[in-house]
Amino acid sequence: MNPRCWLVAYLVAVVAATFVHAPALLAAALALALAAAGRDRWRLLKRTLLAILAFNLTVSLGYAAVALWRGDFNPHYLLLVNLRVLLLVFLGIWFAARVDVVAAIGVSPTLTFVATLTLGQLRAFERIVKDFALAFASRSPAPPRLVDRARHAAAQGIALMDKTQAAATESALAMRSRGAFDA
Amino acid sequence: MHIPDGFLAPQTYLPAYAVAAGAWAWAARGLRERLDETTVPRLAMLTALAYGLGLVMVPVPGGTSGHMLGVALLALIFGVRLAFLAYSLVLLLQALLFGAGGVTTLPINALAMGLIGATVAVATKSLLARFNETAAVAIAAWLSVVLSAIVVALVLGSQPLIAHQPDGTPLFFPFGIEITLPAVLLPHLVIGIGEAALTVPIWRYARSRKWCS
Repeated sequence: MNPRCWLVAYLVAVVAATFVHAPALLAAALALALAAAGRDRWRLLKRTLLAILAFNLTVSLGYAAVALWRGDFNPHYLLLVNLRVLLLVFLGIWFAARVDVVAAIGVSPTLTFVATLTLGQLRAFERIVKDFALAFASRSPAPPRLVDRARHAAAQGIALMDKTQAAATESALAMRSRGAFDA
Repeated sequence: MHIPDGFLAPQTYLPAYAVAAGAWAWAARGLRERLDETTVPRLAMLTALAYGLGLVMVPVPGGTSGHMLGVALLALIFGVRLAFLAYSLVLLLQALLFGAGGVTTLPINALAMGLIGATVAVATKSLLARFNETAAVAIAAWLSVVLSAIVVALVLGSQPLIAHQPDGTPLFFPFGIEITLPAVLLPHLVIGIGEAALTVPIWRYARSRKWCS
């Protein structure tokens, strides 16, 4: 199956999952997806759990507290919403791990091109932000003051802008030399 | 601020996709008209920058942190259409590659943060720039965060009314507007200050290099 077909299958599965309100069916779909994901299933499931943990825990605990206080607590809701979110996010992470996302969403050459360049920069920015965070931590033996953290955030923003400008210029020159704008 | 997958009913996200599709088509027309060897790489890089700025944690009094949207910055540099397109791409990549947000919530996230945030930023700056340009940019950035947060809170808070069991048990997001509005809005009143504090120097930097449209 080509990436575009995988994308369509993924989107159909996602939309279908939001129309299912039976926890047993969602659990069966999740088991099916886990079985189909192959050897990577536990690694993908771990990533999924980490991605949804904070938000789902907050919503679940908040719901439990409010519903118990009101006296209308329903464990079926907690099961339903957590299974649905788990299934949807697992499908997304499995899809991204299995398929070339840029090729799948490439409905036009322009969008594919912009997405490819953007992804390359995302990786670079992640490295820069991580480097900044490590450097800031190493320079802060005591907990930093608010003003220090603000100054650090501003410096990080400027560094990202510099990187952006340099990368944009470099890409434009490389593209021009390869005839990308000749048409 | 992103709404994750699984908390919006199809009655919400399917019509939202129809609205967003129209908005994306409108924004893409603007892109094609302005496409050249300078705008294509710069758009890609600033789209990545918006994502990168989302990783920059802004200190919030009390020891917690928030993150910038970056959409006001994109809008003030490129205008509403390109900012909306670029931010939608950021949201799509975040959803597919990092599990942040989601494909069912993409149109609401894109319309709230990408379109409304960008429109509010540009309109506010246009209205207030005659008094003080720097203050106008700061207020524009703050308002873009706050109004986006209000829209997200209203959409989330409407879910129990839109989709519920016959006995009233919610099927998607469980809390009503009376809870989501203060819970989402109050932190973003402060996060908006951080957005403004970072947007102003970066916008001045961009203006000094004649990046602004």
